Amino acid sequence: MRVVIIGGGEIGFALSQTLSRQHEVFVVDHAPEVAARFEALDVQFVLGSATSPDVLAHAGIAGADVLVAATGLDEVNIVACAIARRLGAPRAYCFVSREEFLELHDQQGLAQFGIDRVIWPEAELAADIERIIRAPGALDAESFADGAIRLIEYRLDAGSTLAGHRIADLHLPHGCLIVAVRRGDSFFIPRGASDLAVGDRMVVMGTPEALREVARRTTALAMDGARQRVTIIGGGDVGLRIAERLDETDAAAVTVIERDPERGEMIAGRLRRALVLNGDGTDLELLQAEDIGRSDVLVSVIDNDERNLFASLLGRQLGVRRIITRVSKRANLRLFERVGIDVAISARAAAVASVLHQIQGGATRLLALVEQGAGRILELEVPEGYAPRALRDLAPPLNSIVGAIVRASHAIVPRGTDRIEAGDRLIVFTTHEAADRVRNYFTGVKA
Amino acid sequence: MRLAVVVHVTGTLVRLFAPALIAPAAVAALYDERRDVIGFLVAFVAAALLGTLMRRAGGPGAGDIEGIRRIDGMAIVAGTWLLIAHLGAIPYVWAGLAPIDALFEAMSGFTTTGATVFTDFTAFGRGIFFWRALTQWVGGLGVVALVVAVLPRLAIGGRELFFAEAAGPTDEKLTPQLRQTAIALWSVYIGLTLAEISALALAGMSLFDAICHAFTTMAAGGFSPHPRSIAGYNSAAIDWIVTVFMFAAGANFAVQYRAARGSRVALVQDDEFRAYTGVVLIATVAVFGVLLWDGLGAAGALRHAAFQVVSILTTTGYASADFQLWSDQAKIVLLLLMFIGGCAGSAAGGPKVVRHVLMARLTLRELRRTLHPRSVLPVKLGGRVVPEHILRDVQVFMLFYLLAFAVGTAIVIALGADLVTGITSSIACLGNIGPGFNAVGPMASFADLHPISKIVLTLQMWIGRLEVMTVLVFLRLEPWRAARWGAA
Repeated sequence: MRVVIIGGGEIGFALSQTLSRQHEVFVVDHAPEVAARFEALDVQFVLGSATSPDVLAHAGIAGADVLVAATGLDEVNIVACAIARRLGAPRAYCFVSREEFLELHDQQGLAQFGIDRVIWPEAELAADIERIIRAPGALDAESFADGAIRLIEYRLDAGSTLAGHRIADLHLPHGCLIVAVRRGDSFFIPRGASDLAVGDRMVVMGTPEALREVARRTTALAMDGARQRVTIIGGGDVGLRIAERLDETDAAAVTVIERDPERGEMIAGRLRRALVLNGDGTDLELLQAEDIGRSDVLVSVIDNDERNLFASLLGRQLGVRRIITRVSKRANLRLFERVGIDVAISARAAAVASVLHQIQGGATRLLALVEQGAGRILELEVPEGYAPRALRDLAPPLNSIVGAIVRASHAIVPRGTDRIEAGDRLIVFTTHEAADRVRNYFTGVKA
Repeated sequence: MRLAVVVHVTGTLVRLFAPALIAPAAVAALYDERRDVIGFLVAFVAAALLGTLMRRAGGPGAGDIEGIRRIDGMAIVAGTWLLIAHLGAIPYVWAGLAPIDALFEAMSGFTTTGATVFTDFTAFGRGIFFWRALTQWVGGLGVVALVVAVLPRLAIGGRELFFAEAAGPTDEKLTPQLRQTAIALWSVYIGLTLAEISALALAGMSLFDAICHAFTTMAAGGFSPHPRSIAGYNSAAIDWIVTVFMFAAGANFAVQYRAARGSRVALVQDDEFRAYTGVVLIATVAVFGVLLWDGLGAAGALRHAAFQVVSILTTTGYASADFQLWSDQAKIVLLLLMFIGGCAGSAAGGPKVVRHVLMARLTLRELRRTLHPRSVLPVKLGGRVVPEHILRDVQVFMLFYLLAFAVGTAIVIALGADLVTGITSSIACLGNIGPGFNAVGPMASFADLHPISKIVLTLQMWIGRLEVMTVLVFLRLEPWRAARWGAA
């Protein structure tokens, strides 16, 4: 496959890194200094403007299978996609960073440029963080099949009633399934005989009702129905979006800390009830004066890993119960969680994984990443002609588990006796390594 | 300030105003009141002549009306209102009123105050009563607003005039063109006036009285050809009709225009209108309770409570009952309402509901800031951030408003009025309300006050109608020092 990537920034580099192993990759950027970075990769670097048809032709656009526009300028991305489609590229993915373009795409306004998919990493990150905030005590939260199936990750604290037991003995409610456990550096799909231990991070998939019961038994935080106090450090795109969503629905008492006075004014104008503070999230005095330690959640989404980490650690010291931190450099993801951040989350990692999957994955969809990509949630369609059979009669690849079966009318969390039929959509949890095998197993095999 | 432009434009406005004197002359002729006909014609000639002379005097040097600056606009508006009040007083003098009284009555008319020095209503003809009502109706939306609507040439430079005259801290335009905005406002105004004339006529009022009352209701004025005001008709139907139209007159015409144009939620979404409605409801319930306690029947108590609350809040000043006789508990509610006023962009006077809303939010913000010293706390109205300079204007306005009130009160009391009379006459004139309590109560008149008091109160009406700053800015020397005759 031939992939043309416009823009040699973080996103372009991350995509090239993975794609160049199996595919023919062209990277177009107008800055010569970017070229050096790509020399280490097996890609063809083309110097020039991505909105020039000549440059695109030079990058082999006529024979390309897909174009990904990932420069920092939305307009350039859109124009590049439009030109590429004219010149023969069959698919075009476009990164944007402003709300208007996402809206325009939703209203089919970008379809005339031939853009198949618009990706706004910051918006997706904001949505992810918002979901996590809304699930009290959770470290991760996803929602599938229009909310019929949810996935939540918890850490088992000393107070949890689940720790120290075999899963089979827990008598968890019907309609939920522990799909994965992370213990230290190991990440595995547990069986009935597996034990849960204090400090484990447990990923549960199930219906909302069943998960409420799990939450009740897992964490004391989920018990009180009181409004959460949420502190957001950094009022950039991500911070503002989270604040707006929480503020709109009165889901939480929100405090936003923003350093730039003018930006602060703008944010305060957009929010109804949230408190906007003008100051630095790493200013201990400010955090103490405003009693940030009493927050239920602290979200640090400054565009700088070091300051995010510092603000988060201050929050931890002051006693914040849950800390969600944005990470820009991939290498920092694990590190942050090791030093005590509950959730380290990256905008680009999720967006890049999602684009990679779409380029490579064919009919399956990547619904979500779990534990920084160690686990993946895939959605597969069971093909026509598939002979129905019970789940327990299947031997799916190691390290995968069917988390839910979605049918036209309803969604269920299956047990061994439930049958899979043609036309079902399966929500499958799998580890990173097993993803390809899972894809082939369910969609390739014929009865 | 360029005096040539000011004189020229003021002359233009005065000359355009002159034909308004023909209508009452015709009414007087209809009822065969010869003395009054001559009075109106004299006033008409005086206005036309003065206007023309001023236009000439300003002359060719005042060619570019489009370059009217803010201070010029203020001078033109303040000057026009003052001149028109003097010219409008001529028919009253002709009809036998002392000059100071005549000026008081004319200013009370144009500023839609509704305070009167008439004691014996039988001494005046119908032409005079029609003139009283007409002055209020013209003054209700504003002389400039009228002129802008009919005179396209003023539409460009008229902007500064329009907003120097407009009621309340608003600079919203309904349409891209100022002229269309003025026309839209006048169409709402005229439509409501016609509706009220028919409603009152149907309820049994004579056509002449219906027209006069509709004119003074929609202007939030309060002059009545009946010596006992609305109470003289002793009809529940009329009371309720007038209550409804007073309420409309006190609400923002622009918002009503939008609501009429199909935006059904315009009224509900408007912060000021909600606050306005809230104040009416709360005050009505309070007065209703007091009146019940004092032994009035429920239906009567509700009717008079609602009428009087709306009448005072919208600064109309009609009386459906002699509220001078009510207990102090009811009167204090009415007195407090005098300090609120109607909505911005309406015919009502007073400091306006929106300024109180902003002041309240400003106060809450400062309270919140003590708890969170580093917080960013914009004040919002209707979901939009109110710029700091407007907030500052509002605070300054309130300060000067109270100052003007205090000075007026002090002078009136110093000249022999009792405390309640002094306080209420001052706020009733400054707020363009009309009647107060005690000696200036709803069934009494301002005739017996000291002549100097009347002059001070006349000035207060003028200051209050032009929203304080337009007049008070000329107390500073600077605009006078910078004044030149022609262009620089």
